[in-house]
Amino acid sequence: MSPISAIPSLPSISPSTGSPSTSAPAGAGGFGEALTKMINAVEQSGDSANTAVEQMLSGTGEVHDAMIALQRAELSLQLTVQVRNKLVQAYQDIMRMPV
Amino acid sequence: MSDINNDSAIMAALGRQMTQAVAKQAVAAGNLANLDTPNYRTREATFDDVLNGEMQKVKMTITDQHQIASSAQSTPKTAEVDGLESRRDGNNVQLDRELLTMTKAAADFAAAQQALSAKFRLIRFAINEGR
Amino acid sequence: MSTLNNAINASASALNAERTRIEVAVSNIANADSTRGPDGKPYRRRDVVLAADHAFDAALGQAGVSGVKVAAVVEDQTPFKRRYDPSHPDADKDGFVAMPNVDTPEEMVNMMTASRAYQANLTAIGLIRELVNKSLELGK
Repeated sequence: MSPISAIPSLPSISPSTGSPSTSAPAGAGGFGEALTKMINAVEQSGDSANTAVEQMLSGTGEVHDAMIALQRAELSLQLTVQVRNKLVQAYQDIMRMPV
Repeated sequence: MSDINNDSAIMAALGRQMTQAVAKQAVAAGNLANLDTPNYRTREATFDDVLNGEMQKVKMTITDQHQIASSAQSTPKTAEVDGLESRRDGNNVQLDRELLTMTKAAADFAAAQQALSAKFRLIRFAINEGR
Repeated sequence: MSTLNNAINASASALNAERTRIEVAVSNIANADSTRGPDGKPYRRRDVVLAADHAFDAALGQAGVSGVKVAAVVEDQTPFKRRYDPSHPDADKDGFVAMPNVDTPEEMVNMMTASRAYQANLTAIGLIRELVNKSLELGK
Protein backbone atom coordinates (compact mmCIF):
# COMPACT_ATOMS: atom_id res chain seq x y z
CA MET A 1 0.00 0.00 0.00
CA SER A 2 1.16 3.51 -0.60
CA PRO A 3 2.20 5.02 2.65
CA ILE A 4 -0.21 7.65 3.78
CA SER A 5 2.22 10.46 4.27
CA ALA A 6 1.83 12.03 7.66
CA ILE A 7 -1.76 12.92 8.18
CA PRO A 8 -1.86 16.70 8.21
CA SER A 9 -2.80 18.48 11.36
CA LEU A 10 -6.43 19.18 11.96
CA PRO A 11 -7.76 22.13 10.08
CA SER A 12 -8.79 24.78 12.49
CA ILE A 13 -12.39 24.13 13.23
CA SER A 14 -14.26 27.29 12.63
CA PRO A 15 -16.69 28.22 15.31
CA SER A 16 -20.19 27.19 14.46
CA THR A 17 -21.11 30.60 13.23
CA GLY A 18 -20.99 29.49 9.62
CA SER A 19 -23.77 27.33 8.31
CA PRO A 20 -22.93 23.64 8.55
CA SER A 21 -23.40 23.07 4.83
CA THR A 22 -20.41 25.19 3.85
CA SER A 23 -17.98 23.73 6.36
CA ALA A 24 -17.18 20.59 4.38
CA PRO A 25 -13.68 19.36 5.16
CA ALA A 26 -12.11 20.64 1.97
CA GLY A 27 -9.60 22.99 3.42
CA ALA A 28 -6.18 23.12 1.82
CA GLY A 29 -3.65 20.92 3.58
CA GLY A 30 -6.40 19.30 5.63
CA PHE A 31 -8.18 16.03 5.53
CA GLY A 32 -9.59 17.08 2.21
CA GLU A 33 -6.18 17.01 0.64
CA ALA A 34 -5.28 13.69 2.23
CA LEU A 35 -8.52 12.25 0.92
CA THR A 36 -7.92 13.66 -2.54
CA LYS A 37 -4.51 12.04 -2.54
CA MET A 38 -6.01 8.72 -1.57
CA ILE A 39 -8.70 8.98 -4.20
CA ASN A 40 -6.03 9.70 -6.79
CA ALA A 41 -4.17 6.62 -5.62
CA VAL A 42 -7.35 4.57 -5.93
CA GLU A 43 -7.87 5.85 -9.42
CA GLN A 44 -4.31 5.05 -10.32
CA SER A 45 -4.49 1.52 -8.98
CA GLY A 46 -7.78 1.10 -10.81
CA ASP A 47 -6.10 2.19 -14.00
CA SER A 48 -3.22 -0.20 -13.55
CA ALA A 49 -5.71 -2.98 -12.84
CA ASN A 50 -7.50 -2.12 -16.06
CA THR A 51 -4.23 -2.16 -17.97
CA ALA A 52 -3.29 -5.52 -16.47
CA VAL A 53 -6.65 -7.04 -17.36
CA GLU A 54 -6.43 -5.59 -20.85
CA GLN A 55 -2.99 -7.09 -21.24
CA MET A 56 -4.26 -10.41 -19.98
CA LEU A 57 -7.09 -10.37 -22.50
CA SER A 58 -4.89 -9.32 -25.39
CA GLY A 59 -2.50 -12.07 -24.42
CA THR A 60 0.53 -10.01 -23.53
CA GLY A 61 0.04 -10.20 -19.78
CA GLU A 62 -0.23 -12.98 -17.26
CA VAL A 63 -3.38 -13.99 -15.47
CA HIS A 64 -1.85 -13.73 -12.02
CA ASP A 65 -0.48 -10.25 -12.67
CA ALA A 66 -3.98 -9.11 -13.56
CA MET A 67 -5.45 -10.70 -10.45
CA ILE A 68 -2.80 -9.08 -8.25
CA ALA A 69 -3.48 -5.69 -9.78
CA LEU A 70 -7.21 -6.18 -9.22
CA GLN A 71 -6.66 -7.10 -5.59
CA ARG A 72 -4.51 -4.02 -5.09
CA ALA A 73 -7.14 -1.81 -6.64
CA GLU A 74 -9.82 -3.36 -4.47
CA LEU A 75 -7.80 -2.98 -1.28
CA SER A 76 -6.88 0.59 -1.95
CA LEU A 77 -10.52 1.41 -2.68
CA GLN A 78 -11.61 -0.30 0.51
CA LEU A 79 -9.03 1.59 2.51
CA THR A 80 -10.13 4.89 1.05
CA VAL A 81 -13.79 4.18 1.66
CA GLN A 82 -13.04 3.26 5.26
CA VAL A 83 -11.04 6.42 5.80
CA ARG A 84 -13.82 8.45 4.23
CA ASN A 85 -16.36 6.77 6.50
CA LYS A 86 -14.25 7.62 9.52
CA LEU A 87 -13.88 11.20 8.42
CA VAL A 88 -17.59 11.64 7.85
CA GLN A 89 -18.31 10.02 11.17
CA ALA A 90 -15.85 12.27 12.97
CA TYR A 91 -17.34 15.30 11.27
CA GLN A 92 -20.82 14.31 12.31
CA ASP A 93 -19.69 13.63 15.87
CA ILE A 94 -18.20 17.09 16.03
CA MET A 95 -21.32 18.65 14.57
CA ARG A 96 -23.47 16.93 17.13
CA MET A 97 -21.30 18.09 19.96
CA PRO A 98 -23.29 20.29 22.33
CA VAL A 99 -21.64 23.68 22.52
CA MET B 1 6.99 3.53 7.00
CA SER B 2 9.57 0.83 6.54
CA ASP B 3 7.08 -1.90 7.37
CA ILE B 4 4.85 -1.02 4.49
CA ASN B 5 7.78 -0.94 2.11
CA ASN B 6 8.90 -4.29 3.37
CA ASP B 7 5.45 -5.63 2.69
CA SER B 8 5.65 -4.34 -0.84
CA ALA B 9 8.98 -6.04 -1.35
CA ILE B 10 7.66 -9.36 -0.14
CA MET B 11 4.58 -9.07 -2.27
CA ALA B 12 6.66 -8.16 -5.30
CA ALA B 13 8.88 -11.15 -4.64
CA LEU B 14 5.86 -13.41 -4.42
CA GLY B 15 4.60 -12.00 -7.71
CA ARG B 16 7.98 -12.69 -9.23
CA GLN B 17 7.99 -16.23 -7.99
CA MET B 18 4.65 -16.74 -9.69
CA THR B 19 5.93 -15.25 -12.95
CA GLN B 20 8.99 -17.48 -12.81
CA ALA B 21 6.92 -20.56 -12.07
CA VAL B 22 4.74 -19.74 -15.07
CA ALA B 23 7.79 -19.37 -17.31
CA LYS B 24 9.27 -22.65 -16.09
CA GLN B 25 5.95 -24.36 -16.61
CA ALA B 26 5.64 -23.06 -20.17
CA VAL B 27 9.18 -23.99 -21.17
CA ALA B 28 8.78 -27.50 -19.75
CA ALA B 29 5.48 -27.86 -21.63
CA GLY B 30 7.30 -26.86 -24.81
CA ASN B 31 9.94 -29.51 -24.11
CA LEU B 32 7.29 -32.16 -23.52
CA ALA B 33 5.52 -31.18 -26.71
CA ASN B 34 8.75 -31.92 -28.56
CA LEU B 35 9.38 -35.24 -26.86
CA ASP B 36 9.66 -36.93 -30.25
CA THR B 37 10.93 -34.11 -32.44
CA PRO B 38 14.26 -35.09 -34.01
CA ASN B 39 17.21 -32.94 -32.96
CA TYR B 40 15.16 -30.95 -30.44
CA ARG B 41 17.24 -29.92 -27.43
CA THR B 42 15.80 -29.49 -23.96
CA ARG B 43 15.44 -25.86 -22.96
CA GLU B 44 15.23 -24.25 -19.58
CA ALA B 45 13.97 -20.88 -18.34
CA THR B 46 16.71 -18.76 -16.83
CA PHE B 47 16.39 -15.69 -14.67
CA ASP B 48 18.85 -12.94 -14.12
CA ASP B 49 18.68 -13.00 -10.36
CA VAL B 50 17.90 -15.43 -7.66
CA LEU B 51 14.91 -14.50 -5.59
CA ASN B 52 16.86 -13.31 -2.57
CA GLY B 53 19.04 -10.94 -4.52
CA GLU B 54 15.95 -9.61 -6.16
CA MET B 55 14.32 -9.04 -2.79
CA GLN B 56 17.15 -6.71 -1.81
CA LYS B 57 16.86 -4.82 -5.05
CA VAL B 58 13.12 -4.55 -4.75
CA LYS B 59 13.41 -3.30 -1.20
CA MET B 60 15.56 -0.43 -2.28
CA THR B 61 13.77 0.57 -5.43
CA ILE B 62 10.12 0.15 -4.69
CA THR B 63 8.60 3.38 -3.62
CA ASP B 64 5.00 2.71 -4.31
CA GLN B 65 2.69 -0.07 -5.29
CA HIS B 66 2.47 0.89 -8.91
CA GLN B 67 6.00 -0.20 -9.59
CA ILE B 68 5.41 -3.73 -8.50
CA ALA B 69 3.57 -4.85 -11.58
CA SER B 70 6.36 -3.68 -13.84
CA SER B 71 9.08 -5.21 -11.71
CA ALA B 72 7.38 -8.57 -12.01
CA GLN B 73 7.53 -8.40 -15.77
CA SER B 74 11.16 -9.16 -16.37
CA THR B 75 11.09 -11.42 -19.38
CA PRO B 76 12.76 -14.73 -18.75
CA LYS B 77 15.20 -16.12 -21.25
CA THR B 78 15.67 -19.71 -22.18
CA ALA B 79 18.81 -21.68 -22.71
CA GLU B 80 19.66 -25.18 -23.76
CA VAL B 81 20.32 -27.57 -20.92
CA ASP B 82 23.73 -29.21 -20.88
CA GLY B 83 24.54 -32.69 -19.77
CA LEU B 84 21.45 -34.52 -20.89
CA GLU B 85 21.99 -37.68 -22.85
CA SER B 86 20.79 -37.52 -26.43
CA ARG B 87 18.83 -40.29 -27.99
CA ARG B 88 19.47 -41.68 -31.42
CA ASP B 89 17.40 -38.98 -33.12
CA GLY B 90 19.39 -36.18 -31.48
CA ASN B 91 16.57 -35.39 -29.07
CA ASN B 92 17.40 -35.14 -25.39
CA VAL B 93 14.05 -34.45 -23.76
CA GLN B 94 13.46 -36.58 -20.69
CA LEU B 95 9.81 -37.08 -19.96
CA ASP B 96 10.21 -37.56 -16.21
CA ARG B 97 12.46 -34.55 -15.84
CA GLU B 98 10.01 -32.23 -17.57
CA LEU B 99 7.01 -33.55 -15.69
CA LEU B 100 8.92 -33.09 -12.46
CA THR B 101 9.82 -29.52 -13.43
CA MET B 102 6.19 -28.81 -14.13
CA THR B 103 4.99 -30.32 -10.88
CA LYS B 104 7.59 -28.34 -8.95
CA ALA B 105 6.64 -25.13 -10.71
CA ALA B 106 2.99 -25.77 -9.92
CA ALA B 107 3.86 -26.25 -6.26
CA ASP B 108 5.98 -23.08 -6.18
CA PHE B 109 3.19 -21.17 -7.81
CA ALA B 110 0.60 -22.51 -5.39
CA ALA B 111 2.78 -21.60 -2.43
CA ALA B 112 3.30 -18.04 -3.65
CA GLN B 113 -0.37 -17.70 -4.42
CA GLN B 114 -1.36 -18.85 -0.96
CA ALA B 115 1.09 -16.49 0.68
CA LEU B 116 -0.06 -13.57 -1.42
CA SER B 117 -3.69 -14.34 -0.71
CA ALA B 118 -2.89 -14.44 2.98
CA LYS B 119 -1.21 -11.05 2.71
CA PHE B 120 -4.24 -9.61 0.99
CA ARG B 121 -6.49 -11.11 3.65
CA LEU B 122 -4.40 -9.54 6.40
CA ILE B 123 -4.60 -6.13 4.81
CA ARG B 124 -8.33 -6.48 4.26
CA PHE B 125 -8.72 -7.53 7.88
CA ALA B 126 -6.91 -4.43 9.02
CA ILE B 127 -8.90 -2.13 6.76
CA ASN B 128 -12.19 -3.56 7.89
CA GLU B 129 -11.22 -3.41 11.56
CA GLY B 130 -11.37 -7.13 12.00
CA ARG B 131 -14.69 -7.63 10.39
CA MET C 1 -0.66 -15.09 -26.01
CA SER C 2 0.12 -15.09 -22.43
CA THR C 3 2.65 -17.62 -21.31
CA LEU C 4 0.24 -20.17 -19.91
CA ASN C 5 -2.04 -19.94 -22.90
CA ASN C 6 0.96 -20.52 -25.04
CA ALA C 7 2.02 -23.52 -23.02
CA ILE C 8 -1.42 -25.06 -23.39
CA ASN C 9 -1.29 -24.44 -27.14
CA ALA C 10 2.09 -26.14 -27.30
CA SER C 11 0.80 -29.16 -25.40
CA ALA C 12 -2.31 -29.27 -27.56
CA SER C 13 -0.20 -29.24 -30.72
CA ALA C 14 1.70 -32.19 -29.29
CA LEU C 15 -1.54 -34.08 -28.63
CA ASN C 16 -2.39 -33.56 -32.26
CA ALA C 17 1.00 -34.71 -33.48
CA GLU C 18 1.05 -37.80 -31.28
CA ARG C 19 -2.43 -38.73 -32.39
CA THR C 20 -1.26 -38.55 -36.00
CA ARG C 21 1.64 -40.84 -35.11
CA ILE C 22 -0.73 -43.35 -33.56
CA GLU C 23 -3.05 -43.21 -36.55
CA VAL C 24 -0.19 -43.78 -38.95
CA ALA C 25 1.16 -46.67 -36.87
CA VAL C 26 -2.30 -48.25 -36.80
CA SER C 27 -2.62 -47.90 -40.55
CA ASN C 28 0.82 -49.47 -40.98
CA ILE C 29 -0.10 -52.45 -38.82
CA ALA C 30 -3.47 -52.83 -40.50
CA ASN C 31 -1.78 -52.96 -43.88
CA ALA C 32 1.10 -55.21 -42.89
CA ASP C 33 -0.16 -57.79 -45.34
CA SER C 34 -1.69 -55.58 -48.04
CA THR C 35 0.04 -56.68 -51.20
CA ARG C 36 -2.10 -54.63 -53.54
CA GLY C 37 -2.55 -50.93 -53.01
CA PRO C 38 -4.37 -48.43 -55.26
CA ASP C 39 -1.32 -48.35 -57.52
CA GLY C 40 -1.22 -52.13 -57.74
CA LYS C 41 1.93 -52.28 -55.61
CA PRO C 42 2.22 -53.45 -52.02
CA TYR C 43 1.53 -50.98 -49.23
CA ARG C 44 4.45 -48.80 -48.26
CA ARG C 45 5.05 -48.10 -44.62
CA ARG C 46 4.38 -44.46 -43.67
CA ASP C 47 6.38 -42.39 -41.27
CA VAL C 48 5.48 -39.14 -39.50
CA VAL C 49 8.06 -36.35 -39.55
CA LEU C 50 7.73 -34.03 -36.56
CA ALA C 51 9.23 -30.56 -36.37
CA ALA C 52 9.32 -27.92 -33.66
CA ASP C 53 6.81 -25.19 -34.46
CA HIS C 54 8.49 -21.90 -33.75
CA ALA C 55 5.40 -19.88 -34.54
CA PHE C 56 4.83 -20.07 -30.80
CA ASP C 57 8.11 -18.33 -30.05
CA ALA C 58 7.19 -15.33 -32.09
CA ALA C 59 3.78 -15.11 -30.50
CA LEU C 60 5.31 -15.15 -27.06
CA GLY C 61 7.96 -12.60 -27.90
CA GLN C 62 10.58 -14.84 -26.40
CA ALA C 63 12.36 -17.94 -27.49
CA GLY C 64 11.87 -21.28 -25.86
CA VAL C 65 8.29 -22.44 -25.86
CA SER C 66 7.69 -24.19 -29.11
CA GLY C 67 4.86 -26.43 -30.07
CA VAL C 68 5.26 -29.29 -32.48
CA LYS C 69 3.80 -29.86 -35.89
CA VAL C 70 3.56 -32.73 -38.31
CA ALA C 71 5.93 -31.55 -41.00
CA ALA C 72 5.11 -34.44 -43.33
CA VAL C 73 3.89 -38.00 -43.56
CA VAL C 74 6.39 -39.72 -45.80
CA GLU C 75 6.54 -43.18 -47.32
CA ASP C 76 9.34 -45.40 -46.16
CA GLN C 77 11.44 -46.22 -49.25
CA THR C 78 13.12 -49.32 -47.86
CA PRO C 79 12.62 -52.27 -50.23
CA PHE C 80 9.65 -54.56 -49.85
CA LYS C 81 10.09 -57.82 -48.05
CA ARG C 82 9.96 -60.88 -50.28
CA ARG C 83 8.19 -63.97 -49.15
CA TYR C 84 8.06 -67.29 -50.93
CA ASP C 85 4.39 -68.15 -51.40
CA PRO C 86 3.67 -69.54 -54.90
CA SER C 87 -0.05 -69.94 -54.22
CA HIS C 88 -0.46 -66.22 -53.52
CA PRO C 89 -2.31 -64.41 -56.35
CA ASP C 90 0.32 -61.66 -56.34
CA ALA C 91 3.26 -64.05 -56.54
CA ASP C 92 5.73 -63.48 -59.36
CA LYS C 93 6.86 -66.23 -61.71
CA ASP C 94 9.47 -67.46 -59.20
CA GLY C 95 6.81 -67.81 -56.51
CA PHE C 96 7.88 -64.78 -54.46
CA VAL C 97 5.43 -62.20 -53.14
CA ALA C 98 6.48 -58.60 -52.43
CA MET C 99 5.19 -57.82 -48.95
CA PRO C 100 4.81 -54.37 -47.38
CA ASN C 101 7.92 -53.07 -45.63
CA VAL C 102 6.08 -52.94 -42.35
CA ASP C 103 7.71 -54.33 -39.26
CA THR C 104 4.82 -54.94 -36.90
CA PRO C 105 6.80 -55.00 -33.61
CA GLU C 106 8.45 -51.72 -34.56
CA GLU C 107 5.05 -50.18 -35.22
CA MET C 108 3.85 -51.40 -31.84
CA VAL C 109 6.82 -49.69 -30.21
CA ASN C 110 6.06 -46.48 -32.13
CA MET C 111 2.48 -46.65 -30.98
CA MET C 112 3.51 -47.14 -27.39
CA THR C 113 5.94 -44.23 -27.35
CA ALA C 114 3.38 -42.03 -29.06
CA SER C 115 0.71 -42.94 -26.57
CA ARG C 116 3.13 -42.35 -23.70
CA ALA C 117 3.93 -38.90 -25.10
CA TYR C 118 0.22 -38.23 -25.52
CA GLN C 119 -0.34 -39.07 -21.87
CA ALA C 120 2.55 -36.87 -20.79
CA ASN C 121 1.15 -33.90 -22.67
CA LEU C 122 -2.28 -34.48 -21.20
CA THR C 123 -0.69 -34.41 -17.76
CA ALA C 124 1.12 -31.22 -18.75
CA ILE C 125 -2.15 -29.56 -19.72
CA GLY C 126 -3.59 -30.58 -16.36
CA LEU C 127 -0.64 -28.98 -14.55
CA ILE C 128 -0.93 -25.77 -16.54
CA ARG C 129 -4.62 -25.63 -15.80
CA GLU C 130 -3.76 -25.89 -12.13
CA LEU C 131 -1.69 -22.71 -12.44
CA VAL C 132 -4.47 -20.85 -14.20
CA ASN C 133 -6.92 -21.89 -11.50
CA LYS C 134 -4.50 -20.84 -8.78
CA SER C 135 -4.07 -17.49 -10.51
CA LEU C 136 -7.79 -16.95 -10.43
CA GLU C 137 -7.92 -17.88 -6.75
CA LEU C 138 -6.01 -14.68 -6.06
CA GLY C 139 -9.28 -12.90 -6.69
CA LYS C 140 -11.14 -14.74 -3.98
